[in-house]
Amino acid sequence: MTRKGFLKWLIAGFGVVSLAGVLYPITRFLKPPPAVSGAIGQVANVGALSTFPAGQLTPVAINGQPAAVQNLNGKYAVYSLICTHLGCVVGVSGDSFSCPCHGSTFSATGTVTHGPATLPLPTYHSQTQNGSLLVGPIDLSGAKYPAWYTGEFGA
Amino acid sequence: MSTTTDGRAPEVAPAPKKRGLVDWLVQRLGLTATMEDQYNRIVPKHATNYIYCFGGVAFVLFIMLAITGILLAVYYEPTPDTAYQSVLNISTHVQFGWWIRSIHRWSAGGMVLLVFIHMLRVFFTGAYKAPRELNWLTGVLLFLITLGFGFTGYLLPWDQKAYWATKVGTDIAGSVPFLGHFLLVTLRGGEQISAATLGRFYDLHVLVLPAIIVALLLGHFWMIRRHGISGRL
Repeated sequence: MTRKGFLKWLIAGFGVVSLAGVLYPITRFLKPPPAVSGAIGQVANVGALSTFPAGQLTPVAINGQPAAVQNLNGKYAVYSLICTHLGCVVGVSGDSFSCPCHGSTFSATGTVTHGPATLPLPTYHSQTQNGSLLVGPIDLSGAKYPAWYTGEFGA
Repeated sequence: MSTTTDGRAPEVAPAPKKRGLVDWLVQRLGLTATMEDQYNRIVPKHATNYIYCFGGVAFVLFIMLAITGILLAVYYEPTPDTAYQSVLNISTHVQFGWWIRSIHRWSAGGMVLLVFIHMLRVFFTGAYKAPRELNWLTGVLLFLITLGFGFTGYLLPWDQKAYWATKVGTDIAGSVPFLGHFLLVTLRGGEQISAATLGRFYDLHVLVLPAIIVALLLGHFWMIRRHGISGRL
């Protein structure tokens, strides 16, 4: 291969890589994003009721947001797994919640059992239908919850 | 520019043996003389200097703003109820949305800066002098259009900063003697900033100003070719 030929290929290679570097993000950009969590009227089917064992918390994703389904002998509740303290993802252990970031713990009903969090974990509106659990918007009416539950992360 | 100044149609070359798509197009379109003219232009030595690049860089930023702006318009919704949410959606949910929007935002600031620096260069190298006065004047208009883009684009996220900046900006327009109130009402689409204001600013930002700036840029570049690069200091 001549030096001229090599340089030609090199320049062509740079050209292709640069073009791909522009076209790839643009193609991804044009792909419609997944539905926004908690958008009004946005109902997600999180699965059949049989997938949520009684007396346990089962982690699920609701429109991409971490949450857990609780089955108290056929009474279902869906808790957000985002900590009310600083927005970390809360871990599930047995029938209670504990946050790995700053050690907040929450009881099986979502109330704070150990700080620094002060607000209980918010729940999602949910109902059973045809053997499935349907989940609607997050219920933030109980207290003045931080902005991250509505997808706002500051200005 | 074609060298046929006597009104003859440019000569269509009899297709000498050349290869490549560009040569093919040049021959089909009879642009051989034009292209040769482009190739034979020599950049004067005093102009092979970074301070002569600012206008070109501003133009590159304009191209990037056009591309990212077209992309942002895919998701942006210019109504008071949805504008802020749609911007938030672009920045937090659309893939690479934060990237496209950031490029648009930073290029916008950069373009204002570079157009101004370009203007300083032209001023201090005396490049506005005869016969280039008209290019200076189109340049001044281009600068004002660039500021217009910045002003109208600033409102579009429809957040507090956008609202109050536009309130202040249109209030300033309203302080012009005699014409002030007319300007204010025309810009706002009413006495107050409202949905009408957002619609008008969006229209200006994506339809009116782009059309004007493209026309002015063509004139600006055509005159550069016509005059050549100005002499050294």
